[in-house]
Amino acid sequence: MSLKRTIPMTTVSGFAVSAFFVVTILNILIKNMPSNIYRAGDELLKLNSSEGVANAVTTVVVYFRGFDTLGEIAVLFIASLGIGLVLKSTTKEKIESEESNFMLKTGAKLLSPIILIFGLYIMIYGHLSVGGGFQGGVIIASGVLLLLTSSNHFHISHRVVERLETFAGVSYVMIGLIGLIVMDSFLGNFLPHNISQMGLLLSGGIIPIIYIIVGIKVGSEMSVIVDNMLKRDIDD
Amino acid sequence: MIETILNFLNQKEVIQATVVIGSMGLFLIGLFGLLTQRHFIKLFISIEIMEVSIFLLFIGLSFQRGLTAPMLGDGIKTFTNMNDPIPHAMILTAIVIGMAVLALGVSMAIEYHKLTGITDVDKMNRLRN
Repeated sequence: MSLKRTIPMTTVSGFAVSAFFVVTILNILIKNMPSNIYRAGDELLKLNSSEGVANAVTTVVVYFRGFDTLGEIAVLFIASLGIGLVLKSTTKEKIESEESNFMLKTGAKLLSPIILIFGLYIMIYGHLSVGGGFQGGVIIASGVLLLLTSSNHFHISHRVVERLETFAGVSYVMIGLIGLIVMDSFLGNFLPHNISQMGLLLSGGIIPIIYIIVGIKVGSEMSVIVDNMLKRDIDD
Repeated sequence: MIETILNFLNQKEVIQATVVIGSMGLFLIGLFGLLTQRHFIKLFISIEIMEVSIFLLFIGLSFQRGLTAPMLGDGIKTFTNMNDPIPHAMILTAIVIGMAVLALGVSMAIEYHKLTGITDVDKMNRLRN
């Protein structure tokens, strides 16, 4: 393959047309920029102080958009279910694969507890600092991936993970229904939430509890996805 | 000289235009890959590049100079002068959902390849015959 290539005319004209469009759009953007943009987040930031949670993103995800988060978790569950269905191993007997190398085994022994504890920390402190259930769950799944790749003897018990998923999903809906009964709105904050307690671990009412539930759900589903994909690899 | 350049780059319009152009370019790269490549793994990579460009657009446009992250912390006691928390919240969930949906698509494609040995999308026409 030679480095010299004739560039076809269509490519050149395509680049010219797209550059023209970029310049036009830029011109419109710069000319018509309003000085004061009204943002929908300002209203939520004002409302946010009444919930007693230090991280506004957490309040938006779990409280103001709590119903959407429930739907997103359902999407995640369906994706995990589909992966389990598609990659279902037809052969039941286990095939011994090669041993992992020394570096991976020692590194996994050293790092996996730290990664798992870090994921738990991110999950539990989601309402006080950066992080939350989604991020913590994915970090926990990455720790599980490290354990699964490093050793042949580490297996995820699918029964336990299924129980965890069911518990998390059911308790999310139950907390929402209790809020509906007590506070007249789905996912109403029925636990005490004072502004004076803002910044403490026990603050914000149901918001940290729901984010921990989301973390359990995301972590278990991501771990199951990783496990299914790796098992398929061993079976082949 | 350098200060004038930095002052020009520090304008609000220039920052937002840079974000828009950059994410648009990334989106076009993904679209180009989607239209020209026929291997299914490359198609998934192209879709993922387009997705990341949308994430960058949302996060970049929500950023404004002089405003802090939407979080209380050292010295910040009230929810004023903060960035918009809604794009952060939406992209946060979109990343996880995108990853799970990508895993589903890839696993389906791998299974199809195991059954038929085809990696070309144009030749995936078993249902047509």
